[in-house]
Amino acid sequence: MRGETSSSNLKKSRRFSLQAPLTTITWMTENLHRHTVTERALQQIFNFNRKPADEDKDDDLSDSEDSVYSGLEDSGSDSEEEEGSDEEEGSDDDDDKMKEKKEGEVSEEKKKDEYEHDSSDEEDIRNTVGNIPMEWYKDFPHIGYNLDGKKIYKPIRNKDELDDFLDKMENPEYWRTVHDKQTGSDIVLSDDQVELVNRLQRGQFGDVNFNEYEPMVEFFSSDVMIHPVTNRPADKRSFIPSLTEKEKVSKLVHAIKMGWIKPRRVEDDGRGRYYNLWASEDSSILARHKMHLPAPKIPLPGHHESYNPPPEYLFTDEERALWEQQDPADRKLPFVPRKYSSLRQVPAFSQFIHERFERCLDLYLCPRQRKMRVNVNPEDLIPQLPKPKDLQPFPTTRSLVYRGHSGLVRSISVSPSGQWLASGSDDGSVRFWEVCSSRCMKTVQVGGAVKSVAWNPNPSVCLLAVALDSVVLILSPSLADKQVILSSERLLSAQQEGEEPAEGNGSVVWSEAEGEELNQGLRLKIQHPKAVHQVVWHAKGDYLASVMPDNTSHLQVYIHQLSRRRSQNPFSRNKGLVQCVSFHPIRPYFFVATQRSIRIYNLVKQEMTKKLQTNSKWISSMAVHPGGDHVICGSYDCKLSWFDLDLSTKPYKMLRHHKKAVRGVAYHRLYPLFASASDDGSVIVCHGTVYNDLLQNPLIVPVKVLRGHVMTHDLGVLDVTFHPTQPWVFSSGADATICLFT
Amino acid sequence: MSQIQARFFTEDKRYVVDDVPFSIPAASEVQDLSNVINKLLEAKNASHSKVDFDFLVRGQFLRTSLSTHMATEGISTVWPAIVLKLVWIYCIKILTGSYDKTARIWSTEGKPAMTVAGHTDVVKDVAWVKREGLTSLLLTASLDQTVLLWEWNSERNKVKARHCCRGHAGSVDTISVDPTGTKFCSGSWDKMLKIWSAVPTDEQDEIEEPADRPRKKQKTQQLGLTRTPLMTLSGHSEAVSSVLWCDSEEVCSASWDHTIRIWDVDTGGMKTTLTGSKVFNCISYSPLCRRLASGSTDRHIRLWDPRTKDGSLVLLSLTSHTGWVTAVKWAPSHAHQLVSGSLDNLVKLWDTRSCKAPLYDLAAHEDKVFCVDWTESGLMLSGGADNKLYTYRYSAQQAEA
Repeated sequence: MRGETSSSNLKKSRRFSLQAPLTTITWMTENLHRHTVTERALQQIFNFNRKPADEDKDDDLSDSEDSVYSGLEDSGSDSEEEEGSDEEEGSDDDDDKMKEKKEGEVSEEKKKDEYEHDSSDEEDIRNTVGNIPMEWYKDFPHIGYNLDGKKIYKPIRNKDELDDFLDKMENPEYWRTVHDKQTGSDIVLSDDQVELVNRLQRGQFGDVNFNEYEPMVEFFSSDVMIHPVTNRPADKRSFIPSLTEKEKVSKLVHAIKMGWIKPRRVEDDGRGRYYNLWASEDSSILARHKMHLPAPKIPLPGHHESYNPPPEYLFTDEERALWEQQDPADRKLPFVPRKYSSLRQVPAFSQFIHERFERCLDLYLCPRQRKMRVNVNPEDLIPQLPKPKDLQPFPTTRSLVYRGHSGLVRSISVSPSGQWLASGSDDGSVRFWEVCSSRCMKTVQVGGAVKSVAWNPNPSVCLLAVALDSVVLILSPSLADKQVILSSERLLSAQQEGEEPAEGNGSVVWSEAEGEELNQGLRLKIQHPKAVHQVVWHAKGDYLASVMPDNTSHLQVYIHQLSRRRSQNPFSRNKGLVQCVSFHPIRPYFFVATQRSIRIYNLVKQEMTKKLQTNSKWISSMAVHPGGDHVICGSYDCKLSWFDLDLSTKPYKMLRHHKKAVRGVAYHRLYPLFASASDDGSVIVCHGTVYNDLLQNPLIVPVKVLRGHVMTHDLGVLDVTFHPTQPWVFSSGADATICLFT
Repeated sequence: MSQIQARFFTEDKRYVVDDVPFSIPAASEVQDLSNVINKLLEAKNASHSKVDFDFLVRGQFLRTSLSTHMATEGISTVWPAIVLKLVWIYCIKILTGSYDKTARIWSTEGKPAMTVAGHTDVVKDVAWVKREGLTSLLLTASLDQTVLLWEWNSERNKVKARHCCRGHAGSVDTISVDPTGTKFCSGSWDKMLKIWSAVPTDEQDEIEEPADRPRKKQKTQQLGLTRTPLMTLSGHSEAVSSVLWCDSEEVCSASWDHTIRIWDVDTGGMKTTLTGSKVFNCISYSPLCRRLASGSTDRHIRLWDPRTKDGSLVLLSLTSHTGWVTAVKWAPSHAHQLVSGSLDNLVKLWDTRSCKAPLYDLAAHEDKVFCVDWTESGLMLSGGADNKLYTYRYSAQQAEA
């Protein structure tokens, strides 16, 4: 291709060379072939503009100009070639001397030029000085440099004013000749170019064929069209993923995998572009910022604040009087709701300043402390207790009722074998019942309201202690094996042979029962100075404690030794009204419950070891766990407290299940059960497991409410006790019955 | 399912109907079925008088309409069979012990024949040993820790204490005579079981006499010859409430320690222990169906299989009582019937084939029922805290003071 063009150029140049030094003409023609139409048009305009100024100078064109013009004419009506050749002229005119010289170089130059401008679409850059005022070269022989850096010499201007004038007069082409300052040459415009200039001067489009008033096709109108603008169906390729893109992506993925491309690098901030302004700040200050407290919110206005409130919000006369009487701090509302027919008639709020001031005070004095609100499900706060069903056995139903008493049954006690039940009643009798058949086996009239009965816990003796008035009776009910009866008789009579009862402190008198009483089973009488309220046995069955509540004296508790018929008062000082006492089941401790506290005494060391605070107003009863480390205590203010002696002197647990005063409490000897009896006529049985592990607290679960007693004179259940071996509970009530719940 | 094909069988020759399927309306109840059978029998035999029948459907008593029964039992086809209500006949004398420290012998008509007095305390249990002609032997156990063996001559109506069995250290709550009538077993509150000979002899067993010789002598003179136990079975940890002989070599005992134990009398060892969850008041064994029935301090009667090896298996529980079950007794001649007494004043007759509800509630007592029994001929007896002894025929009841 290149070869062809060059050879054709060569031919051309040879032909032209005959007429004029056309070294660059052919080069231009080559070049111009590559110009686009628009560029050419611009160029033409450009050149045209410069032309009139040089018109005069063009007059003195050399001979060669003719040849140039002929050359142009030669090239025909092709405007492109024409223009190019126009521009060539100047440079050719520059130096005649060089012409021959250059001729030789033409072929070479052409090749070079052609090569250099192969891909160029720039404007005319034969003169490389650029767009500068050409006056700057006024004093120089040249007007610039060509691409090779060689000077472009000014064409020799031998035309003077006269020549110019003549030229003007004679040359018919003068009007269309323009001077190119940059190259210093004159150019004669063709008809087309002139036409173009004229059109542009008229403000018309350069292209003749361009119709600027073509009818408009309204593709986009305000009308909603049913059909798409184009009816062309979508290409298939718009539905299938592009293979090339896939290829590109896979290449990128591969490159990333191979480590050739680093996935976008994170801008490291190591250079310290950003820094923590408060890093060096004191942490305590920052902590204070964190504890920011929002200002208290103003309550939202309600119907009271309305200018036209519903009538129920308006104050009645009484309410208004009350409002006026009240201290401003106590008022529910800081203003009186008023009714106006329209908003226009609402006067200014007289309290405004005051209210703002109050608000400021609120903000200023608001407690600067954060309330930590804990979101806890209320269900989670309830301890996980086992179901009562899993804690069986415990008594659930009333199985037997022991009827026979005619007064309220104050006290009951079960024999250590579990076969017999003794009960003492206000009707002055002590009854013995067979547990399994509820048959009353024996009735002993003791002649006074029985306050307390207690069966001797020693299984090898069969004795019952009964407290009534100021006497403690020892009964031998003879409801046991003959050996047992014998041994208990022996225990009672042991002292008889020895010295007469030593009346240690005079106030207590021991006496033998005689005659009729002896047949009834009475064996001993212990006369006390005051009314006895409670008797209780030591686990071994030899010692017996009796309680005579008296606030004024220190003679409230006596401990009797049965085998030696001795009585002693262990306390020399009055520590309060003694309610009940109990022996520790194993160790030589003695529990004394006064009105509000329980004291534990060590009988061997004769000192107080512990004092339990019950937090209740009036203790009614107390029971010691068979293990000895736990105590329950019922009180007249409906509470039942469980003490863990190893844990604390405060109650481990307070149970407030009863509606009325708790009258009696009891532990089961074997099963983990305890029960409380109350004036509300119910017995509540609770499960209370005690663990050997000191770290584990006792598990206390209320399991059953037992009802069966009829309320009599506002009294319900008076005493409660467990069967020694079975999970059965007995309760005695004010309705003169005893119930067995199994 | 409006009609059901049914076939009727009976073991009673008098009431046999043709062995062909009958089409019966599904809604028919016992009374309707009974009418059908009566009609059939009348057609066969003009002299037939109307009888009320009961029906067993696959071993279960029919108590509702056929359709509902089938729905509950999951049966698709029914073949009812006739069961006759037998009329129990005459029986012999009844022996009772009571809290007034005496035992009494009654005729079935309710007349007291004899009062046996001798115990110093409440008589807890009584038992017949054997009858030979006009003399018979009987036993009474008492709270005074003795069991007395009496000989009763019915002709002269005289009773004589033959032996006084001493050895228990607690009240003797229960006695039971072995099937041969030569031995008996007693259970006591002192947790022991003792086996004694029931054969009266004229020799007094040697007893190691401790102190108080005169008093003891006085008693033996009063109450016949002293007898000591052949064997003592200990193992219970609580009072023994009931004993019985399963067969001639096996004794079964129930106790307050929630167990039923079966003992081998030959070796004196324990064979099986059945553990319950409540105190056992009473047990009964039926050699016909080889089941133990137990009554406990809850309201259930439980049936046990004493021969199971896989622990203590309650086969069935019969629940209808509302108080402690104090007495149960299997029918001596019927494999499925038992009678129970409870603290809720009711005596109930049960059929193990209809375990959901008792056959009959016998509401005669006005107070707690403490004992029930059958006579050999099938009369039911019950005694209670209202000081009355009732005998029941199967359908009619009669009360005796």
